[in-house]
Amino acid sequence: MIELRGVKKTYYTEGKETPVLFGIDFKIEEGDYTAIMAPSGTGKSTLLNILGTLDKPTEGKYLFRNRDLTELSDDELSRMRNKSIGFVFQLFNLLGRVSVLENVLLPLLYAETYPKEARERALRLLDMVGLGDRVHFKPNALSGGQQQRVAIARALINEPDLLLADEPTGNLDSMSSEEILQIFDEIHRKGRTIVVVTHERDVALRADKIITMKDGRVFSEERTR
Amino acid sequence: MKSRSGRLFRIFGHAVRALADQKGKTILMMLGTAVGIMLLTGVVGLSRGVEKRIEEVMAFMGPRSGMVFAGGGRLQSAGARAGSGSTLKLQDVETLRNKLSDRAVFSATLRREGVQVKYEGQAWETAVFAVDPDFPIVSDWAIAAGEPLDYHDEKSLARSCLIGATVARNLMIEDDPLGKKILINRIPFTVKGVLEAKGTNTMGMDMDDCVWTPLSTGMRRIFHATSIRMVRFKVREGYSIPEVREEVERILKEAHKIKEGEEIDFTIRTPDFIAKRIMEMTRTARLVGYSLAIVALLVGGIVLMNILLLSVSERVPEIGLKRAVGATANDIFLEFIMESVSVSVLGMLLGIILGFIPLLLLPRLMPMLPMAFSFKSLTYGFIFSAAVGIFFGVQPAKRASRLTPIEALR
Repeated sequence: MIELRGVKKTYYTEGKETPVLFGIDFKIEEGDYTAIMAPSGTGKSTLLNILGTLDKPTEGKYLFRNRDLTELSDDELSRMRNKSIGFVFQLFNLLGRVSVLENVLLPLLYAETYPKEARERALRLLDMVGLGDRVHFKPNALSGGQQQRVAIARALINEPDLLLADEPTGNLDSMSSEEILQIFDEIHRKGRTIVVVTHERDVALRADKIITMKDGRVFSEERTR
Repeated sequence: MKSRSGRLFRIFGHAVRALADQKGKTILMMLGTAVGIMLLTGVVGLSRGVEKRIEEVMAFMGPRSGMVFAGGGRLQSAGARAGSGSTLKLQDVETLRNKLSDRAVFSATLRREGVQVKYEGQAWETAVFAVDPDFPIVSDWAIAAGEPLDYHDEKSLARSCLIGATVARNLMIEDDPLGKKILINRIPFTVKGVLEAKGTNTMGMDMDDCVWTPLSTGMRRIFHATSIRMVRFKVREGYSIPEVREEVERILKEAHKIKEGEEIDFTIRTPDFIAKRIMEMTRTARLVGYSLAIVALLVGGIVLMNILLLSVSERVPEIGLKRAVGATANDIFLEFIMESVSVSVLGMLLGIILGFIPLLLLPRLMPMLPMAFSFKSLTYGFIFSAAVGIFFGVQPAKRASRLTPIEALR
């Protein structure tokens, strides 16, 4: 479903070149649960931003269902994110001034068409992550683990092709982390493609495949089972 | 296309929601527009009041009419003071007629309120006009029944009169008034005709509550006067009112032997002159009002812009999140522009409500200022506040929309 071919990224600031990615190649198949393991400072965030179409590679191709995303305009990429990608961030990134339910519905604000059953879908997702009784709470009334579960429901509201998670358990205690990872397992069982970026080995081990990065290159690819 | 507008509505709803979630900021952002529109409502109300007062004067005098009063000095408006002496003579009217009859019609008039009229058992107090035969032309007043007062009545000091509808009704002779003998100030007059009903004028006066007698008879028998207080004139079509006015002044100065530099002993009033005076009197107030309104709108706009800029920098993570879940740069721009326009239109609504304060208060403090509510202030208010919202919202909205997703998420 996803293929990176020779993806390079170089930042230019004040005339200085800072290469971050030196040519990344890998494939992710439909329904795969993949972990990208990388210590901090190895271009992990940059790779994630490129996978999420938040940033464009300097060189190389990013094929998403055989479509080269590097040729798309900013507006087309926005539409792509809206329709096909769901994000889960390390810091949850919920909108504090609106309710849990409205947070989940947020991506639909920018959808081409607003599904009639949007509200039911959001409630179903909140039920799935165990927050069916908190839909009218404000995010700051919830624990970190609960907030991350809201973020997962939000990432799934558009029924995206790809769920992209950036250190989803990085700010959580081990119990909450386990809850989140179990939800990921369940989402995976239902057939959705998941990419988790992490530097924690036990988080990566939950995936089918681990891609390890080192110094802006793919160091190894291994199957966990 | 339907989905596109649906999306716009959703973003608009979200923008309004953001305003509701940040009430303190929203109120601060509204304030400038509110004050500006309040002042604008006040000053538009003043302009409308001026227009209305001029319309009243026009309606009262007739747009092509003028009045000459005995006595000089500064009259505030028609009829405010009837002059100090009897400096207008019947001879003056004759002189004006001889020299200007091609350009205007002149009519001498005397008027007195509270004169008793009687018919058999019925009595009534009314206004008596002693008028010459040209008065109906000058005052645009027709006869509904019977005959007008003519030159024969004038010459012969006839005891004939015309009555208004209100008088006819109160003397209970409205069914068959012609030929009835009524007493005016205990002097018998024969009703020669009934005046066309005019109803109530803009000042609330019943125009039909009057009796007309020939000028000569009235002066001799009712007013006991040898001079007149007022000459009305009506400029014929095709001649300019200010020119005729100048001619009247020149002829009367000559007739009264007033030399250059001496004070004149009569006063001429024409509707255009009165309109000019009212405009002059209120010009400063209107100018100050408009200037203050514009300054308030500008200051309000700048305040709005700065608070919105602050709001943009506070909401960078929110913008990043929205970009990540699929908002285009344009969506973000629209969202902030919609916030800015909504807040200034809200400010406008508040301003219109606050605008009733000057509208109600000013006439009490300064009774000479005419004020009236005008729907124009709604139109102007909407246009100006939307313009402020767009103009001062562009910069914050641009700043928000120019953030790249990764900058905003960092």
